Amino acid sequence: MSDELIAKVKQMIIDSLRIEGMSSDEIETDAPLFGEGLGLDSIDALQLVVAMEKEFGVVVPDAATGSKVFASVRSMADYISENKK
Amino acid sequence: MNCWMFPGQPLRHDQSFPAMPDGEGILSLCEAVAGFNPSAWRGDGQIESENIRLQIYGTAFSLCRSRFLKMSGQQPDLVLEHSMGIYAALAACGCISERDALEMTARVGRTLLKMSEKVRYALGCIIGLECAHVEAAAANNGVYVANYNTSSHFLLAGERSKIMSAVEECAASGAFSLSVFDCDAPLHTPLIAEVADELKNIFSDYIYIEPSVTLLDHIDHQPLTASKIPGFLLDELLLPVWWQRSYLAARNLGAKSFVEVGAGDALKKFNRWVDSENMP
Repeated sequence: MSDELIAKVKQMIIDSLRIEGMSSDEIETDAPLFGEGLGLDSIDALQLVVAMEKEFGVVVPDAATGSKVFASVRSMADYISENKK
Repeated sequence: MNCWMFPGQPLRHDQSFPAMPDGEGILSLCEAVAGFNPSAWRGDGQIESENIRLQIYGTAFSLCRSRFLKMSGQQPDLVLEHSMGIYAALAACGCISERDALEMTARVGRTLLKMSEKVRYALGCIIGLECAHVEAAAANNGVYVANYNTSSHFLLAGERSKIMSAVEECAASGAFSLSVFDCDAPLHTPLIAEVADELKNIFSDYIYIEPSVTLLDHIDHQPLTASKIPGFLLDELLLPVWWQRSYLAARNLGAKSFVEVGAGDALKKFNRWVDSENMP
């Protein structure tokens, strides 16, 4: 897993979710994104699905897959690496 | 132009009550008017359902936020409302008092609760499915689309068993996320006609003053006037909420900044989605 991809994923989260007052360095790579972590919800998840497809050409087909993919920044980067065309 | 947005009833009680200067004043009003303290989530036995608690909590939260913003020198140039957010929005615009907003919320909630005596109702939240599929699922299963929040976020309302079938159909059509919430009544559907006379009587008990700032309704997206308010309060419970249209109407009027005056940040997230589709 490249540090470059991790950084890109963090920036994508900040940009697509319009998170204000937070830099990409402040998002922990292995921290949960939903619930206790960034506190994201299903509306945010769909926004991330669209952003991932637009930026990396990777499709998250449903919420069940999404719950695994969006577990953390690292899991997102793993999914992108495995599925990028 | 600064726009304040008043959200509707929260679906869950997952946010602590804001600690704000003079917030105690609103909490005291809640106890006096509705017999319920949303901060402690404690009532004196007068509150019959979790939905009414959530409705009072939502209005009280918005009133507190509104007070706080005004005390810190902020004022809206334009006001939008979503569903039962209208009661706090009316108070923020000076049309009714904070006390009346809380009392109206509790009275409406208790009237809606009567519908649950015969039928069990629910809401279905559908995310990530095109409108045509959601409308088809609603029609096929005898329920209604109650909220058109964005092109990909909808709320269905109706009898619980039918909502479950409609949600299953949405799942089969490829919805990204689905959830079901119990509710006292199918808000924003024609089924509310069952208690329309009673609701009309509630709304006729209050005196409405002209809004001090432009308040757009969520049906026609036109400015509400004092004389239109009682009719709108009834109509809005019978008709769907079109949030995306409200937001775009505010944008067209020149609104640049949007402040969510209430619990949660669902409206901000809806706006973010609309912007992602409508702005370069």
